Amino acid sequence: MFLEQLVNGVTLGSIYAIVALGYTLVFGVLDIINMAHGEIFMFGAFVGMLIVSKAGAPLPVAFLGAIVVTGAMGLLLERFALRPLRKAPGVSNLSSLISTIGVSILLENVAQKVFGAGNHLFETPFAEIRFRVGGVTVYLVQALILFVSLALMTGLALWLARTRTGRALRATAENLATAGLLGVDTNLMITATVVIASAMGGVAGVLVGMAFNYINNQIGLSMGLKGLAIIIFGGMGSVYGAMAGGLILGIAETLVVAYGDSGYRDSIAFLTIIVVLLIRPQGLFGQAAPGMRR
Amino acid sequence: MGPEWINPYHLQVASFAFINVILGVSIYVTLATGQLSLGNAGFMGIGAYAAALLSTRYGCPIPAGIVLGGLFAGIAGILVGIPSLRLSGVYLAIATLGSGEVLRAVLVNWESLTGGAVGIAAIPQMGRVLLSRAREAGFAPESIGLRNNQFIGISVFLILFVCAFLAVLFFLRLGRTRVGRAYAAIKLDEKAAEAAGIPVTYYKVLAFSQGAMLAGFAGALYAHTTSFVSPSDFTYHRAVEILVFAVFGGSEHLLGPVFGAAFLTMLPEALRSVSDYRDILYGILLVLTMVFRPQGVLDPPLLRGFARFRRKGKA
Repeated sequence: MFLEQLVNGVTLGSIYAIVALGYTLVFGVLDIINMAHGEIFMFGAFVGMLIVSKAGAPLPVAFLGAIVVTGAMGLLLERFALRPLRKAPGVSNLSSLISTIGVSILLENVAQKVFGAGNHLFETPFAEIRFRVGGVTVYLVQALILFVSLALMTGLALWLARTRTGRALRATAENLATAGLLGVDTNLMITATVVIASAMGGVAGVLVGMAFNYINNQIGLSMGLKGLAIIIFGGMGSVYGAMAGGLILGIAETLVVAYGDSGYRDSIAFLTIIVVLLIRPQGLFGQAAPGMRR
Repeated sequence: MGPEWINPYHLQVASFAFINVILGVSIYVTLATGQLSLGNAGFMGIGAYAAALLSTRYGCPIPAGIVLGGLFAGIAGILVGIPSLRLSGVYLAIATLGSGEVLRAVLVNWESLTGGAVGIAAIPQMGRVLLSRAREAGFAPESIGLRNNQFIGISVFLILFVCAFLAVLFFLRLGRTRVGRAYAAIKLDEKAAEAAGIPVTYYKVLAFSQGAMLAGFAGALYAHTTSFVSPSDFTYHRAVEILVFAVFGGSEHLLGPVFGAAFLTMLPEALRSVSDYRDILYGILLVLTMVFRPQGVLDPPLLRGFARFRRKGKA
């Protein structure tokens, strides 16, 4: 029983980790929090739902469709809500926070107009297939979610560490001006970051649809808030912090629902942030810098 | 019976505009020290629930309940404020957003006290209470040619107008005192303010709890205006709505959020066709404001321009 809960927790946690990675990539490069990330994730879930449940196409097509649509949304977000603020003089970090909040309410309500406010069934053809591993029942869907998220995380980590563009991106994150002087096309890197982060959100959306079997236009908000909690917990801008934080939150939530009071499930994330901010403000994997939070 | 132009519905919209003005002032007060708090929806909820419970359970008179609701929220503001103010910028915004969400979870789950997700109904409505008091005292609204619902609408309108007016006046005056100047100094440069001997933490906590108290006050008024509160009244969306008032109206002068709150509450009523798209409009408005006029519609130079224009007109 406990092991099964643990499997559930790890499945949920790996989705959280991918959502949190989207936040942390953008924060690492741009130093801003993209409050619209949760809603982009929600659109990924809806695109996946339309492709799998309505059109009856296979799952890989759903992932591809979600990646294309959310990637394009990331492109538009960067072009119209972030870039104009970057050039303006005297604009604070709060301005881009507020402008992405604007995009998030816009997207949430557009989704409500287009898809309605109710739940939509997300049917996967193999939802009932399960197998037993050493006395623990594992659903095929769970295994698939784990596989996709692990592949995504490994791919991202390798890309950031080994490739030329990955290095350029890290240089941009380290210091925008210096990277520009050294010949990195920083505008391109910033756009690429937002697009990649959004596409990861889209993949996470399809995974959530597979895991929960239903979606609605509110999932963006709740998932977005959890993603924020995770990056604060794991350390802002830290890739490994986002992964570890996501897994920890997923397991903690599952265990609280299984052995505690399910009503407070969604509060765990926030209690965690409040405690972490007070005790270790730089987060689990963040580097302590004096006065960093000021 | 009764003059037809007094429309209870319009009075109600105007009453909500006054409540929103108070909320706009509440976020401005914290912004005046350069801190963005997204927790004001939560503090509004504390005020509303405190007032609602005091009157429905303990028979507390409405005015006392409203004042106590504001005080409760203010105390909660101090409790949240002291630890949170080690943070600033986006960290503070997210921590306050988080505390608002935790509060909402408590409201939903503590069913024995708060009525859970259903909320609290049958809260005495201040206009109706006033009407029955007036009737007991031998005064009939008919004698001055008003229908009952017109009397209720007008009395709520007047009460909220006075409350909003006093709140705006208080904080306009505060801006010219030692406290107001300290806020402005902290907003401009925290380190310089500290070096100049201003107790920065004290003033930041003060501004934060003043904002919380004002939001709680607005919440208490809200409870006694709608006579019904539920956790869904105080969500993230409310926090964003309050933020839009300040951001759109202008966050560098107190009259900015006041204008933003009044304008954005009335606008959907004036344009019936767009009221369905209100939230979409809010979203677009936020982005456009940030891109084209990050300081909001009203800013100090514009207000000075108005003042100069008026003086010229008089001369």
